[in-house]
Amino acid sequence: MHRYKFVLYRPLQFLPVLFGISVITFILVRLIPGDPARVLLGTRATPEAIARIRAQYGLDEPLLAQYFYFLRNLADGEMGRSILYKIDVLKLIATRIEPTLMLVLCSMVLSVLIAVPVAAIAARNHGRLADQVIRIVSTFGIGFPPFWLGLMLIILFSVELAILPVSGYGNTLSEKLAHLVLPSLTVSLSLSTVLARSLRAAMVEGLRSDVATAARARGMPESIVFWRHVLPNSLVPAVNLLAVNIGWLIGGTVVVETVFALPGMGQLLVRAIFSRDYMVVQGVAMVFACATVLINFLADIVTVALDPRVKL
Amino acid sequence: MIAALLKITDLTVVHDDDGGERTLLDAVSLDLAPGEVLGLVGESGSGKSLLCRSLVRLLPSSRLRISGGSITLSGRELTTAPEAEMLAVRGGEIGMIFQNPSSHLDPVMRIGDQISEGIRFHQRLNARAARAAAVDILAQVGFQDPARHYDSYPHEFSGGMRQRAMIGAALSSNPRILIADEPTTALDVTIQAQILRLLMDIRARRGLSVILVTHDLGIVAQVCDRIAVMRQGRLVEVGEKRGLLAAPAHAYTRSLIASHPSLPEKDMPAKTEKRQAPGAMPLVDIEKLHVRFATGGLFRRGAVDAVKEVTLRVMPGETVGIVGESGSGKSTLARAVLGLTPISSGTIRFDGADIASGRAVLATLRRQTAMVFQDPYNALNPHLTVGKMLAEVLRVQGKIESAQIPARCGELLDLVGLGRAFLDRKPRSMSGGQCQRAGIARALAVDPKLIIADECVAALDVTIQAQIVELFRELVERMSLTLIFIAHDLAIVRNLCQRVVVMHRGAIVEEGRSEEVFSRPKHAYTAALIAAVPHIDPDKPLLAPSKMATAQADGVAN
Repeated sequence: MHRYKFVLYRPLQFLPVLFGISVITFILVRLIPGDPARVLLGTRATPEAIARIRAQYGLDEPLLAQYFYFLRNLADGEMGRSILYKIDVLKLIATRIEPTLMLVLCSMVLSVLIAVPVAAIAARNHGRLADQVIRIVSTFGIGFPPFWLGLMLIILFSVELAILPVSGYGNTLSEKLAHLVLPSLTVSLSLSTVLARSLRAAMVEGLRSDVATAARARGMPESIVFWRHVLPNSLVPAVNLLAVNIGWLIGGTVVVETVFALPGMGQLLVRAIFSRDYMVVQGVAMVFACATVLINFLADIVTVALDPRVKL
Repeated sequence: MIAALLKITDLTVVHDDDGGERTLLDAVSLDLAPGEVLGLVGESGSGKSLLCRSLVRLLPSSRLRISGGSITLSGRELTTAPEAEMLAVRGGEIGMIFQNPSSHLDPVMRIGDQISEGIRFHQRLNARAARAAAVDILAQVGFQDPARHYDSYPHEFSGGMRQRAMIGAALSSNPRILIADEPTTALDVTIQAQILRLLMDIRARRGLSVILVTHDLGIVAQVCDRIAVMRQGRLVEVGEKRGLLAAPAHAYTRSLIASHPSLPEKDMPAKTEKRQAPGAMPLVDIEKLHVRFATGGLFRRGAVDAVKEVTLRVMPGETVGIVGESGSGKSTLARAVLGLTPISSGTIRFDGADIASGRAVLATLRRQTAMVFQDPYNALNPHLTVGKMLAEVLRVQGKIESAQIPARCGELLDLVGLGRAFLDRKPRSMSGGQCQRAGIARALAVDPKLIIADECVAALDVTIQAQIVELFRELVERMSLTLIFIAHDLAIVRNLCQRVVVMHRGAIVEEGRSEEVFSRPKHAYTAALIAAVPHIDPDKPLLAPSKMATAQADGVAN
């Protein structure tokens, strides 16, 4: 079990990473041009009113002091108040986190469910028609932007066939899942093509590998050679690819949530940016950054579980 | 005579090229009797491995096909048998083991599962019974604690144990024939001797027939009953081993036997002894060298002593061989001499100057030394022609006028016995031996005082090996070169080097004149190493390095 020891000490290494994240998000948000107080009060606000708002939110203090308050509040579990929604940022995020989390989760599961069989079919028919078709389709898949793909899916499944909801999020679990089908499909169609290509390449190599030859020489039928030897050996690079793409996946949810009007954090982030709601942008960026770190950590655990040679 | 178990008649395998076909196996006919060990020898590319693959119809490419002839296993035709029947033949009747156990064992599957997998499939046993059978097999192939080792992964074992595991996997479904394709080529001599003994032991216990593919005639002479010699896809000679080795009928067989490096001393060309002037300075002077590598991560550190307390002097013009098993520190020592590895303690002087004393000394050192590597293909830049590669070295060197560079390139190729036509060739279009000659030409281009050759013939066929060794011998004599020759092949070192240094676990355990060390080894480890080399004379049996000798060697090293 000593191979899993890193699970205990790795979180210590997160501390400097989190500190870096806080500095970067704090600075980046302040680099956005425009004044939130002005946005909040509208164009006809008096300079006095603007000054009052600025003082209320601490916007008139020096940057370093603002960062200090930001850190102190963070330690108390507070990320400040939203200027736009007038509630605590953390509470605001809490109400929005579920759809995003579900979307990321469903997209990942769906991507794997699409990528593995597709890659398997392509690899086992290497060079034949099925392989060529999959390669061409996946090239298109990489080329199509998610927002366009999302709209096309809405037109097909919601408008023409009318079997899935157009947009929004439900209340019961089944409703929610129904609302998530198209958004996660949109995300995973892009992600799974990248994943399937990498998997296919690893599988093609695996089928030619000495490990496969040795298994065949023991009289193992092709199905056992593939599913018990080639696939497990191909998964490790795919998991790492998935982890690397997690930033892209989260970025993708911003677009997809907007297209499908999912009340998640991506949508929240877009609105917060347009209204210069510093505290919210900061909070959401922090949560996204932490999620990326956490998911990479999970990917490390999966890698260790899949490959007995890996030591972290 | 007993009826043949396996009968190959006029087997022909062709490669479909665009528009035509090339014959890779040309009407090969061969028998294998029950319980017989047949040695299949020949150079790389002669079709040995392809023949073995054809027997179980696992051809390495879809462009290869059996175009004629027949293979019968106890009267059953295999070339036309349906694939489902072949599944039962593979593993169930004909088992196979390969050269490189590290790449043929599944790295992410437990060793035991790789053995029980075949048992479950062929014998239709349930998981528990298959596990019990696999544990039994692990014990048979020499695992000390089979029940525990069942759950280990391949990377947790040494090369020798991995080969044992692969043998176990091949035996799991009780085959009658075992095909062993260069099973010991990747292993050290002492481990090789153990694996060969295990194979013979299993053969005796199970009445197994074995086809042993190898390039080492010593192995064949030691363990086989009959020898088949292949060349360019044809079987050139088959016969009982004593008769064949004593009176080879074919010219190629004769050259194979002649190039085997374990010939008795009297046939050797005399080694030139260079007399050292009294008080001559050593070219390389190593004193109490330690090289320690840190291991482990941030939180658990350890260290491995790759080289321990090594003191060694190499005089100008001397040829010194360094032998030892893999992991004994030979290569680390060589890298340290070239300043490529940080030294933990001790000193290395090159031509009197401490190489740790500054960049200037290191620069001088690198201008006057050159290295020849093990893998000739990977050591040459695939994008450069041989001519460009040599010209680059000469230009950087700056010792000769740029106008004279082309002429010098030609001279260098003459020196290593490559025609001038090779100036325009790229490594891809050259054989291993030609690449290695080009690599040596590159080493000579710097006009070095010292050449370090690290296992530079290990990847070559025996006949090519003999040529390269001969080339080194000539060069050393003609150019007053100093040569440090690292090899695990004792016979080659014995043939080439005046002095030999034996390393074991990072330390020098013995050094002296080659003849003396090899004929009267003082250290138990050296004796064990020498005893493990298979001799080409079948009547000089592979001596088991006695357990005591090995234990002593270990004890001393610790």
